[in-house]
Amino acid sequence: MSGDVLIQILPSVLLEGLLLGFVYAMIALGYTMVYGVLGLINFAHSEVFMIGAVTGAEVYRHLLPHVGNPYLLLAISITTAAAVSGGTAMAIERLAYRPLRRRGNTNRLVPLITAIGISFFLQDLVRLIEGMWHNEFFVNYPSTPALERTFQITEMLSIQMKAIIVITVSLAMLVGLQLLVTRTRLGKAMRAVAQDAHTASLMGINPDQIISRTFLIGGALGGVAGVLFGVLYTKVDPFVGFLPGIRAFTAAVLGGIGSIPGAMLGGILLGQLETSAGVYLPLLTDGNIGTEYKDIFGFLILVLFLLFRPQGILGRKEGEKL
Amino acid sequence: MKTKLLSILLLTLACASGAALCSAPRASWTLLPVLAVLFLCLTMRLPRTVRFTAGLGLLLIAIPFAGFTNTFLFELGIQIGIFSALALGLNVVVGMAGLLDLGYAAFFAIGAYTWAIFGSTQASYFMNGNFPLAGWPYFYLFAALAVLTAAITGILIGLPALRLRGDYLAVVTLGLGEVVRVLANNLDHPVNITNGPQGISPVERPPIPWLMDLLHIFNPDASPALGYALFFYLLVIAIIGLVVLINVRLDHSRFGRAWVAIREDEIAARAMGISLTRTKLFAFATGAAFSGAMGAVFAAKQRFISPESFTLLQSITILGMVILGGMGSIRGAILGAALVTLLNIEVLKSCSDFLNTLRQTGFVLDLGFFQYNFALLPSQLEPAKYERMIFGLILVLMMIFRPQGLIPEVRHRLELEKDD
Amino acid sequence: MLEIAAISLNFGGLAALEDVSLKVAEGQIFSVIGPNGAGKSTLFNVLTGIYPPATGAIHFLGRKISKLPPQRIARRGIGRTFQNIRLFGSMTVFENVLVGRHTHIRYTYADALLHTPRYFCAERSARDKVLDLLNFVGLEARAEELARNLSYGDQRRLEIARAMAIQPRLLLLDEPAAGMNPRETDALKALIRALRDERRITILLIEHHMQVVMAVSDRIAVLDHGRLIAEGAPAAIRENPAVIEAYLGPGAKESLA
Repeated sequence: MSGDVLIQILPSVLLEGLLLGFVYAMIALGYTMVYGVLGLINFAHSEVFMIGAVTGAEVYRHLLPHVGNPYLLLAISITTAAAVSGGTAMAIERLAYRPLRRRGNTNRLVPLITAIGISFFLQDLVRLIEGMWHNEFFVNYPSTPALERTFQITEMLSIQMKAIIVITVSLAMLVGLQLLVTRTRLGKAMRAVAQDAHTASLMGINPDQIISRTFLIGGALGGVAGVLFGVLYTKVDPFVGFLPGIRAFTAAVLGGIGSIPGAMLGGILLGQLETSAGVYLPLLTDGNIGTEYKDIFGFLILVLFLLFRPQGILGRKEGEKL
Repeated sequence: MKTKLLSILLLTLACASGAALCSAPRASWTLLPVLAVLFLCLTMRLPRTVRFTAGLGLLLIAIPFAGFTNTFLFELGIQIGIFSALALGLNVVVGMAGLLDLGYAAFFAIGAYTWAIFGSTQASYFMNGNFPLAGWPYFYLFAALAVLTAAITGILIGLPALRLRGDYLAVVTLGLGEVVRVLANNLDHPVNITNGPQGISPVERPPIPWLMDLLHIFNPDASPALGYALFFYLLVIAIIGLVVLINVRLDHSRFGRAWVAIREDEIAARAMGISLTRTKLFAFATGAAFSGAMGAVFAAKQRFISPESFTLLQSITILGMVILGGMGSIRGAILGAALVTLLNIEVLKSCSDFLNTLRQTGFVLDLGFFQYNFALLPSQLEPAKYERMIFGLILVLMMIFRPQGLIPEVRHRLELEKDD
Repeated sequence: MLEIAAISLNFGGLAALEDVSLKVAEGQIFSVIGPNGAGKSTLFNVLTGIYPPATGAIHFLGRKISKLPPQRIARRGIGRTFQNIRLFGSMTVFENVLVGRHTHIRYTYADALLHTPRYFCAERSARDKVLDLLNFVGLEARAEELARNLSYGDQRRLEIARAMAIQPRLLLLDEPAAGMNPRETDALKALIRALRDERRITILLIEHHMQVVMAVSDRIAVLDHGRLIAEGAPAAIRENPAVIEAYLGPGAKESLA
């Protein structure tokens, strides 16, 4: 493979990476926000994302014959998915994490194991529902000409309408969240609880309520990410959350877990790294190291960061509390 | 007095259930009492000798005897045994040392591939020699090697990973499990080491002429299949005996105490002069070693392995066993393994079969106000296919309602001279 | 025995310890007092290696310990208890102390697996030692109970026994009288003296309970806002106006008595 080709495909690889990166960034926000307020890795968040993807697909394909405008249709799908995913995330917090908090269990493995259990449970629950309903458990986002429309930018670079939508929606979400966290009362309360839940409660903030809303917002973002992911890659199933989940968590760590701009930065960085690794690894090694190794690549990045810069790119070093 | 009565009762029950099993080895109802007595042997507060006599009597006399007619009993025993050993290994890591390892199946895979590659023609793809290695000592040599490889891998991975905080360790081990699976899937090129997704088959079993000779005394027509079923059954029981012994001894040593200490409070443990990384490495390597040994046995017993057997689901299943039984509890790990395995290969399958029968016969449920024709039941509804949901539910419910597990860990001792 | 030379430590720009220097001689009972948030517990955490000091050095028995991790410092002979009790809750009282013997039980992994004579010998001597310590703090009757089921005062005494098990030359006690009733407090005073007189252990004590401090201390250091504001014999500290001012606020002299 000549160097020219490698460079010529670079713009489209970068674009691809950016799209994936936005999706990761939105999922990563869910991890990072929950980590911020609870100090918990919410393993179930990958399933909140998956539920968004599946819900979006169901809405999309069921309304397709009734709603003519594809943009309106997408907007409905995104809104429904955000609502369902946000609701699921809130329900998970309410039914599983809150009882554990109330009991004040000292064993730090307990919430983690619960989160893993929920994650597994939800995968099969969605599979069961889909299976009972359609007798198969993968769902496709039907392709619509409007979304598939391609704009040729240069000879080697083209962009599809759906890519433009993904970029627009993600940017709007990310900016909106940033404003929400920095400019509103809710945002301030969230940051206060993240700092010190006990002190925040003395200031008249109800931590449970704030935690619940954090799950709602993080879950809704995950749901939107799910629809965008589905629009980009068409096919979704109950197990579609696993890899993006790990990736997005890596992104959150990369940017500095607990930090919202960090999650965005980490997501985009990781999207780029993964896409480039996926394209260039096989090309540069004559196919001896296949695309599959990009999984290992992403994992290595996680481990290296955890070891050498656990506070991430944007995070601050935290002192251990005694 | 009460103890004496209960002991006699337990032994009587053991004899009765064993006799029932032997008299009707194929009837499904005869297995239940045996399982119930084994359960009592695990849980009752009786002298150890009584529980051991009853339990081992059933395991080593009644079940093998009935197994000659119904080899499914061996199959069940082997499955439970393999998972018990895995659960006991993971119990050291998660239960005693409090390190959440979500990639435990990776070590199982390493053990399995260690034997599968050299116990089949696979090794000839990348080295010279006469493969498979089929003589008698090879399997045992490689099983020992599998223990070493898994333990060394555990140390190599643990060295960086165990410096991380607990929740990060969970993510890293989860990723690690995936890495091992990706490697197993892709190391068929450029050099074919693992044969990729097709897996490796057939894997050699150790020769057992001595056991066949013994079997032929009782039954001249005994087939090699029966011989191997019995062989692996006995091998697995022997390994579990060893694993339990190792577990108990470590638990009563400074190593076991250091594990529990770091689980309870890392800062206090360090103030006692305990080195965190060293202690965690010991736990990680010990757990990995058990897993590696069972991997080699698994490869020989299945005669076929592929990356499919070493997924995250597998790791979570084993975790579920430890949680169900009780973190840090040795008897709990065995009970958890037995319950989950039974659920997996007996209960769920029976439910599936039952639903299938209803579906095929077009059975109509009629409650007067409610009617349902089972022919309409979607074919997706098969309990046996929904292990994830069931394990997930087990994990969540246990964590919320009984985090200490079915048989909670017992801290006892002083036992200066006495031995209960 | 212990020389603290000009150590400082910041938490996010806030000075937790500023230029603190102290010398503790062998055989002393040395108390550190000061209002809440004065940096007393932080000082202990620096001494035991949990936080490395930003500047300054700590020498113990003539060797530098200020860069060592906690477990190495413990092995050099500094034992400690914690302000917010940190026992191994689901282990028995007996086991808690046994964990303290960890570094003195010398056998290998193989010894533990094979139950060699070395294993039995080491375990037996460790057990004897633990029983002796439990007798010493008066918890022998509680040996088989879970640590978390003990009363507050008993938990404090168990922490002392556990810290003693590492055979320290210097013992850091962080508010051992907190949560104790008057009778337990009297027993504690006797225990602290016995630690020094019978067991020859040097003691560094953080305590709010002035009666205990004044009764047992040979020397007292006073911290305020991370700075050392006074050091001297109990009588001198009691009269020191700067201490009275900073520590208790103006006009509160009588409560030091």
